[in-house]
Amino acid sequence: MGLLEVLKKFKSTQSKELRILLLGLDNAGKTTILKGMASEDIAHVTPTQGFNIKSVVSGNIKLNVWDIGGQRKIRPYWKNYFEKTDVLIYVIDSSDKKRFDETGMELMDLLEEDKLAHVPLLIYANKQDLVHAARASEIASGLQLLAIRDRDWQIQPCSAVSGEGIKDGLDWLAKIMEKKK
Amino acid sequence: MKPAPFRSFLLISHKQMALTASRSTEPTGTSNVRADGILNGFKLNWMNLRDAESGKILWQSTEDMADPTREHEAHVPKSILKCRTVSREINFTSVEKIDKFRLEQRVFLKGNIIEEWFFEFGFVIPQSTNTWQNLIEAAPEAQMLPASLLSGNVVIETSFFDDTLLVSTSTVRLFYD
Repeated sequence: MGLLEVLKKFKSTQSKELRILLLGLDNAGKTTILKGMASEDIAHVTPTQGFNIKSVVSGNIKLNVWDIGGQRKIRPYWKNYFEKTDVLIYVIDSSDKKRFDETGMELMDLLEEDKLAHVPLLIYANKQDLVHAARASEIASGLQLLAIRDRDWQIQPCSAVSGEGIKDGLDWLAKIMEKKK
Repeated sequence: MKPAPFRSFLLISHKQMALTASRSTEPTGTSNVRADGILNGFKLNWMNLRDAESGKILWQSTEDMADPTREHEAHVPKSILKCRTVSREINFTSVEKIDKFRLEQRVFLKGNIIEEWFFEFGFVIPQSTNTWQNLIEAAPEAQMLPASLLSGNVVIETSFFDDTLLVSTSTVRLFYD
């Protein structure tokens, strides 16, 4: 894909600077998704012990993607990165059914944050390449996503490893951001 | 005069990069203890340069970039000058939390600033390891400076601050072999 291509999707949005925040439990695939967006090798991704930022400038538009580690001990620090967020991408490991409750609770906490109010939400139901992965529709009903009415949101099945679905999610975001113009 | 646009990644390309790192040793003011803690707990782990279209690493430092006593050298393939987009990536560790972390990166050609980037990280988590990658689109080929002119004359200087406190500076001289 390449980050420049990602940036160009958002060319028609009004803001000069776009901040995307990637959150989710540890091992959900946030860093792999980020590296995939930049066409980078995803073979040696290790747990993020802080943040990974990718910053792209083209013409007069600037895109910053922030991927923050999802380990339990890091989650209390997420709130330090909410400010000025234009888009929230929440990543779920669709095969980790034992932690659906946990990830659902973290997501609901995020949606209650003032600094993230009305921020469009893209949920990647990741790891669809695994046989025992739950379908996006199951996750949507299990996590009661249909109750979200205060923002634009979308759940997108994907596989960070194969890249499938990633672009579709970004296309939806670009459309939403254009609408917000 | 506005500097001619060109890809600074190029700089990193094929010559050698000499990297030097230094660290402020004399924090002043009343917050010396905090400053000392931040300075002593900060480490620049590595830097790399990629062809941002393919994501392929063209150069990566191996030494401890934070070592202030060494000058590092890196050689980058000339082909980096052909890349449409190049990225610079930096990885660092901080023991202490930092509240107003920011970075200033300047690219010099023979001592003149040809490119300047500012980035506000804001909060840095205590005991964290973090990466920042900056991707820049190349100037049209016609506006690019030739490798022979750039090699050995390009320096990338990256300084990290907590608000106004200088935490670390690293300087990389690029050689296009």
